[in-house]
Amino acid sequence: MTPARLAVAVALVAAAVALPHVAGPFWMGLVTQMIVFGLLALSVDLLLGHAGLFSVCHGSFFAVAAYTTAILQVRYGVPTALAAPAGLVAGTLLGLVFGLAVRTRGVYFILITIAFGYVVWGVAHRWSSFTGGDNGVTNVPFPAVGSWRVESHVEYYYLALAAAALLALGYRVLVRSPFGLALRGIKGSESRMRTLGYDSNRHLYAAFVLSAVLASMAGVLYVYYNRFVNPVAASFPVSVEAALMAIVGGTGTIAGPFIGSAIILGLRNWVSSFFELYAAVMGLVFIVAVLWVPEGLVGLALRLSGRTARG
Amino acid sequence: MTTSAILQAINGTSLAALLFLVASGFTVTFGLMRVVNMAYGAYYLLGGYVGLSLAEATGSFALGVLGGGLAIVVLGYLVDRFLIRYTGENHLAQVLLTVGLAFVIGDVALKIWGGDSLKVPLPPALRGAMELPGGLVYPTFRFALIVFGLVVAGLLWLLYTRTPIGAVVRAGVDDREQVAATGIDVDRLFVMVSALASFLAGTAGVVGGAFLTLYPGAEWEILVVALVVVIVGGLGSLGGAMIGALVVGLLDAYGRWLLPEFSYFVLFGPMAVLLLLRPRGIAGREA
Repeated sequence: MTPARLAVAVALVAAAVALPHVAGPFWMGLVTQMIVFGLLALSVDLLLGHAGLFSVCHGSFFAVAAYTTAILQVRYGVPTALAAPAGLVAGTLLGLVFGLAVRTRGVYFILITIAFGYVVWGVAHRWSSFTGGDNGVTNVPFPAVGSWRVESHVEYYYLALAAAALLALGYRVLVRSPFGLALRGIKGSESRMRTLGYDSNRHLYAAFVLSAVLASMAGVLYVYYNRFVNPVAASFPVSVEAALMAIVGGTGTIAGPFIGSAIILGLRNWVSSFFELYAAVMGLVFIVAVLWVPEGLVGLALRLSGRTARG
Repeated sequence: MTTSAILQAINGTSLAALLFLVASGFTVTFGLMRVVNMAYGAYYLLGGYVGLSLAEATGSFALGVLGGGLAIVVLGYLVDRFLIRYTGENHLAQVLLTVGLAFVIGDVALKIWGGDSLKVPLPPALRGAMELPGGLVYPTFRFALIVFGLVVAGLLWLLYTRTPIGAVVRAGVDDREQVAATGIDVDRLFVMVSALASFLAGTAGVVGGAFLTLYPGAEWEILVVALVVVIVGGLGSLGGAMIGALVVGLLDAYGRWLLPEFSYFVLFGPMAVLLLLRPRGIAGREA
């Protein structure tokens, strides 16, 4: 790490730690949300930016983890120490099943993950005796493990921040490992990697399951922040917006999905405060992002800085 | 029990007719232009709303169907010409772009037509029910829809397999560079096929709006089911879309009837199994 990047990292951490002292409860809630959805976007980007697969079902893992944790915690009084890992396991198991989608590529992969995502949404929506239907599961308490418990939104913000930092570090190790490099190779040219003896299907399946694990973690963090979960968490817009966040921020990077999450959620909050048609504005953001900033803001910044360095 | 089973079969078939109208456009535009247009659901909804307003203003259901279709032809042309063209063959960009477009259309439609379920008014001849041999009573319009679907499917099939235009389209699905190299104006062909697909989606919205009603969110429900049709049938195959629509329509009807809480599962479960056996669908070819 260069001294300049180290300075930036230190400044970011200091700002993140100091934030609750300057920002009010509304902003703390929004920032926590940005962190949680940044993690979801990061999980989508493990496939999109590193393996070249565009998944539109990550809301499923997110929602199944959230529902499992919420139902165990609220309805059966299971403590956080068990409910949170159970949510993670449930999301991961679903990932093991949906991972079958890697038998396909390209458009078929996209269409199949959309369809998979709708199964989960449909079950959450229709199986109301178990999932609570459109009302979902409410009154999820703050997490508590033994005598240690989260008592406020500020404390939860720190918890989410610490979790995101740890997961981002783990992600960094993963994408720089031989496995991560093999994924990049498959993205670049699958046939070449096959010729070199890599089992590309197995690599993509593993990447799919790992990204489902990460999406499940985001789901568990989400349910304790949001205090309730309903079928919206599993809906198509959540999945596709997570991909948009990764793209707006910059795919194939770690900061990108978080930056994208901050921009999209910030924009939506801002626009919805004064303009009724904010969903249309979000749609326009999709269109603009695709047509004019396909490499994302991080990519754009890199390109611009590269230009100035050369010029 | 038997009566219900028969009624569900008719329900499923009439849904299949509707699904075919949406899925055939999606699958042929993909086969020919390699474009994934996720806005077809929004085309369906918007066509339905335009047709609804026209039918209410003029009192003519036929004018509503025609107008809903034509409105989407214009919209579809503008979208192809000014948006989708710039995505090249990047499916990811196409999906995001057209999803964004669907959000815009859906939100603007919500603003204009409101959030309630609206029903396209039917002409007197299609209202009411008719009696079948055996004493079954069934809404007339659903039968008309099945007939309409069959007629459209038949015409499309003739157009596709028996006319010079169809031959060029089929050739274009197979190898469009080769078609372009023989001097055929591929761009004009794209515009024509896309216009037909848009027209079908728009009219589907009007006829669908007469029995499924139109409401915000209907665009995604119809799109996802149409996607299953396309996946089951095989991308780019018109015949596949026919078989797929029938399979999906019947599965959906029986699923809703027998396992209401898991009807999505009934719909998507067989799709997942099929996918494991034949990743490219029933009629899809290995690329």
